[in-house]
Amino acid sequence: MSDSTNPAKTGLSRRTVVVSGALIPLTAIRAAPQSAVSKTATVFAPEQRRILEAFLDGLVPSDENGPGAVGCGAANYIDLSLADYLAAEKATFLDGLAAVDAFARSSQGAPFADLPPQKREAVLTAIDNNQAPNLRGFFNRVRRLTLEGMFCDPSYGGNKNFAGWDLIRYPGARLAVGPEDQRMNTPPTPYRKPLYGDGHGH
Amino acid sequence: MAINLKPVDVAVVGLGAAGGVAVLPLARAGMRIAALEAGSWIPPHDFRADEIHNNVRRRVTTGTKVWDETPTFRTGPNQPTRRNAVPTMMNAVGGTSIHYDGNSWRFHPWDFKARSETIKRYGAGALPKGTTLEDWPVSYDELEPYFDTVEYEIGVAGKAGNIQGKIDPRGNVFEGPRQREYPMPPLRDTDFTDMLQAAARKLGWNPHRSPAAINTEPRGGRAACVYHGFCDTGGCHISAKNSTSVTTIPAALKTGNLTLFERSHVTRILTDNNGKVTGVQYLRDGQEYFQPAKVVLLASQTYENVRLLLLSKSKAHPNGLSNNHGQVGKHHMGHWAGREVMALFPFDLNIWQGAFAQGVVVNNWADDNFDHSALGFIGGASLTVNHEVHPIAGAAMPTFGRAPAWGPRWKAFVRENAGRWIGAYAQCNTFPYENTYLDLDPEVKDRVGNPVCRITSGPKENEPRASAYAAAKAAEWFRSAGAIEVATTPNTEGPVLSTHAVGGTRMGDNPETNVVDKWCFSHEAPNLGILGGSVMGTHGARNPTETMQALAWRTSERLVKNWKSIAG
Repeated sequence: MSDSTNPAKTGLSRRTVVVSGALIPLTAIRAAPQSAVSKTATVFAPEQRRILEAFLDGLVPSDENGPGAVGCGAANYIDLSLADYLAAEKATFLDGLAAVDAFARSSQGAPFADLPPQKREAVLTAIDNNQAPNLRGFFNRVRRLTLEGMFCDPSYGGNKNFAGWDLIRYPGARLAVGPEDQRMNTPPTPYRKPLYGDGHGH
Repeated sequence: MAINLKPVDVAVVGLGAAGGVAVLPLARAGMRIAALEAGSWIPPHDFRADEIHNNVRRRVTTGTKVWDETPTFRTGPNQPTRRNAVPTMMNAVGGTSIHYDGNSWRFHPWDFKARSETIKRYGAGALPKGTTLEDWPVSYDELEPYFDTVEYEIGVAGKAGNIQGKIDPRGNVFEGPRQREYPMPPLRDTDFTDMLQAAARKLGWNPHRSPAAINTEPRGGRAACVYHGFCDTGGCHISAKNSTSVTTIPAALKTGNLTLFERSHVTRILTDNNGKVTGVQYLRDGQEYFQPAKVVLLASQTYENVRLLLLSKSKAHPNGLSNNHGQVGKHHMGHWAGREVMALFPFDLNIWQGAFAQGVVVNNWADDNFDHSALGFIGGASLTVNHEVHPIAGAAMPTFGRAPAWGPRWKAFVRENAGRWIGAYAQCNTFPYENTYLDLDPEVKDRVGNPVCRITSGPKENEPRASAYAAAKAAEWFRSAGAIEVATTPNTEGPVLSTHAVGGTRMGDNPETNVVDKWCFSHEAPNLGILGGSVMGTHGARNPTETMQALAWRTSERLVKNWKSIAG
């Protein structure tokens, strides 16, 4: 943990009261009773997970700008979501993965997850350009869930080690935002604690 | 069998933004009130700084019942009906005033007489084709004392631009005259709001800060805003946002005259043979109740106000309550509003945080604040640029033709730019049309077997033109502020479901074309009052809540002063 992410250095909970100039009952800014989702569920067979990760890696690869979608935990987020809040979407999603794989086999001659990056990109480009049968909607859905998984609060299984927020320089939610946190030329110190973790929450 | 309850003076259906205000003057006057609210109290500590919970999954605003009652939509009588939009209603004590951004506006004086003013200035030919527009039966000046009361009762932060005719350029110079300053100063200025205001002034415009029902100083025993954000589509965990759930409702409860029934789903308003209302029937935890009342105030969201009237058929009201002239559902308006114009800046804006309502507004291109002679439309739009971009929404940014939508170049693009873009929210003056109305869906039913509301919204010419005109102005504003890219996505289709849905039980003196009179009591059932957006005859170029609340307060005050003649 760097200094900038150490709450002892940023002293947030103390500052809250000073900044606001008002009495805020502590009970109002604590609590976070339960974790947002179960952390164990998996809706994917290993082969399905491989296809998904290959897909996500094509959308947002790991490179000199940091971890990609997989490294950011987007596949975990999708897994946990399909097991929970998006359970109604699970069957359609698994069908979509199978259809991507079938399209890769027919257009590139190999399972999607076995393709080298360039050929994966060709498959995804064809789907994005609506050159694959009925896959554009699925593509957009995966892209959307990837964004959610990369930039959500880590309690949902994505944004691992806050890599997504670090990528876009999102400062993190904090209890109080003072005038100095809203300057244009001096961005606020990043605050890196999950909402539903130990010793924090609001 | 329904359980008959003890009679009360007034039954209020829905304890949200409007009903939650209306109960206070009634309770203070000593009336016995039963308020039936389909939702429950939400404890403030349940509100979270969580984009997935609030904005993506809408867990604060949409329970199962709300999804169940989502209206269907079609663009004309022979067009297919669809139902795929996110619901706009909310069941909770406080209703949508829990999750709104807190923007708290008075409608402009022009809104109340758009028809006569347009004819006077531009001729009858300038009225939009197919419009059913009438002047409101009440003027801005008549409503002013009620705006003032509401602003002080709930607490609104802002800077006046016109106090009794004295213009102050730090406020909204176009607003109608107000009797005094806002009770609290506006939300905090930031580098970003300073930049936007300077950019607008450079163009000769009159920017000002958004008025907001948010405490900017401790008030009413509650804290001031700490700018931590996440109050859009969510509630305030320190109760600094002045929802009716923390302002007028608790005040009314304190009198001992208001009894609040949570989880109470009103299914019918009943009437006697003379057509007067006798009370409301509702379901609570599976049991049916009848709450007799001398007066009923219907105060749910526009779609639900109309639906409940159409469902409440009786001998005296065979086509639905207060619908013997076929006006229930007519003159409906979804608010023509949206974020059409996006801008990219060459530096970090640092607007990740702050209250969403901590924005800057330009009203130069709204209402009749500019000459429309050669423009082919009336009205216009207010332009608002808000603070606060959540991380998922920030990364879901448009790429302005500078990068693809995925892959390594996208990643490099959002890395640099996710914190460097913003959109302008344009809210258009919106008018009623023959081709736009609400009725009951013939097929889709809610979980207790009642048909849901159906929206029919045909094509329009005036609003898309006004919207495009305003979008060009927003682009000009952003360029003046130093934007390096501006992208416009024209809104030609208009709203599907609208959080700002209004009209459908329009107020007016003529019972042939209006459901309620100038005090918002039914022309056909004199002891039925209707509150909320459904009584509005136009939609202003700004958020509707405070205008609804001023009307609601006025209706209650009317009832108190004329109890015998109304309650009979």
